Amino acid sequence: MPEAIEIQLKKGVLGLCVLALLSRANSYAYEIASKLAHAVDMGEGTIYPLMRRMQSDGLVATYLEESPAGPPRKYYRLTDAGRASLQSQLAEWRSFTAAVDGLVGDIDAPIPTPLANAAEDAHDA
Amino acid sequence: MTRDEFLRRLRRGLEGLPSAASADVIGDYEAHFDAARDEGRSEAEVAEALGDPGRLARELRLEAGIKRWEEGRSPSTAWTAVIAFLGLGAIDILVLLPILLPAIGVLIGLYVALLGVFIGGGAVLIAGPFSGFPGGVAAALLAGLGLMAAAVAFTALLVIVTIWLVNALLWFGRLHYRIIKPAIDGQG
Repeated sequence: MPEAIEIQLKKGVLGLCVLALLSRANSYAYEIASKLAHAVDMGEGTIYPLMRRMQSDGLVATYLEESPAGPPRKYYRLTDAGRASLQSQLAEWRSFTAAVDGLVGDIDAPIPTPLANAAEDAHDA
Repeated sequence: MTRDEFLRRLRRGLEGLPSAASADVIGDYEAHFDAARDEGRSEAEVAEALGDPGRLARELRLEAGIKRWEEGRSPSTAWTAVIAFLGLGAIDILVLLPILLPAIGVLIGLYVALLGVFIGGGAVLIAGPFSGFPGGVAAALLAGLGLMAAAVAFTALLVIVTIWLVNALLWFGRLHYRIIKPAIDGQG
C-alpha cells in the first residue's frame, strides 16, 4: 500500500515539478528528465508524454535553439497560463504539506509508551 | 538494443498515426539519444531506460486516440480509440473481449434497428396518406411523425450510452500504461 501512495504522490507533483523547473530557466526535455529522475525517480521516457500534454494544455510552449553540437534543440518555456498554474498548484501544495506536517510532524518527538498506547486504545473504544 | 533498432521499432509501432504526430515523437526520442550520447551514456543503456519501444508505441497510439476522441466525438474517432485500446493487448483486456465484442455488436444492431424505424416512420408519413392507412390521413401523418420522433429520441439515448461506454473503456485502458504512466516505480 505505501508503494501505491508513493506513486500517486509522484504522479500528482510531476507537473508541478516541471513548471517549477521551467520557471527558473527554459530547458529541453532531456535536461528536465534527468533533473526529475534524480528528484522523484521518474522513468526518463515519461517526460515526453507529459510535456506533450502540458503543451496541448497550453502550459508550456516550444522553440528551437542551437545546441553546441548536433541539430538545434527543442526548448520549453512557460506560458502565462503555465505561470498561473504554477502559482495555484504551488499554493495547493504548500497548504497540503503544511496540513500533513501538522498531523505527522510531532510523531517523532515523544515515543509513546505501551501504557499510553493502551490508554489511547481504551479511549478510542 | 541500439538507437537505430529502438527508433525503427518505435516508428513501425506508430504507423497509422498522422505523420506529423509520429515525426514529432520520433524527433523527441532521437534528440533524447543525442543528448544522452553527449553525456557519454551508451545507446544500450538509454534504450533500456526508455523501455520497450513497441509497448511505448501502443500506449502512445491509445493516448493519441483518446485525444482525438476528446476533441471530436464521432464514430470514426471512437472506433480508432477502441482499436488502440484493444491493441494494448493486456491480459485483462483480452479477458474482457467475450463481453466487449457482443456488446459492440448489440450497439451496432440497435443503431441499425433505430435507423430502420426512422425510415419506416418516414415511409408511413409520406406514403400512408395515399395508401389507405387505417384511421385516415391524419392518423398516418401522426403515426409517421411519431415513429420518426421515437427513433430520434432513442438514438440520442443510445449515443449517450455509447459515449459513456467508450469513455469507460478508454479510462480502463489508461490504467494499463506502464511506460508513459507519469511516475514509474522500481526504475532505480
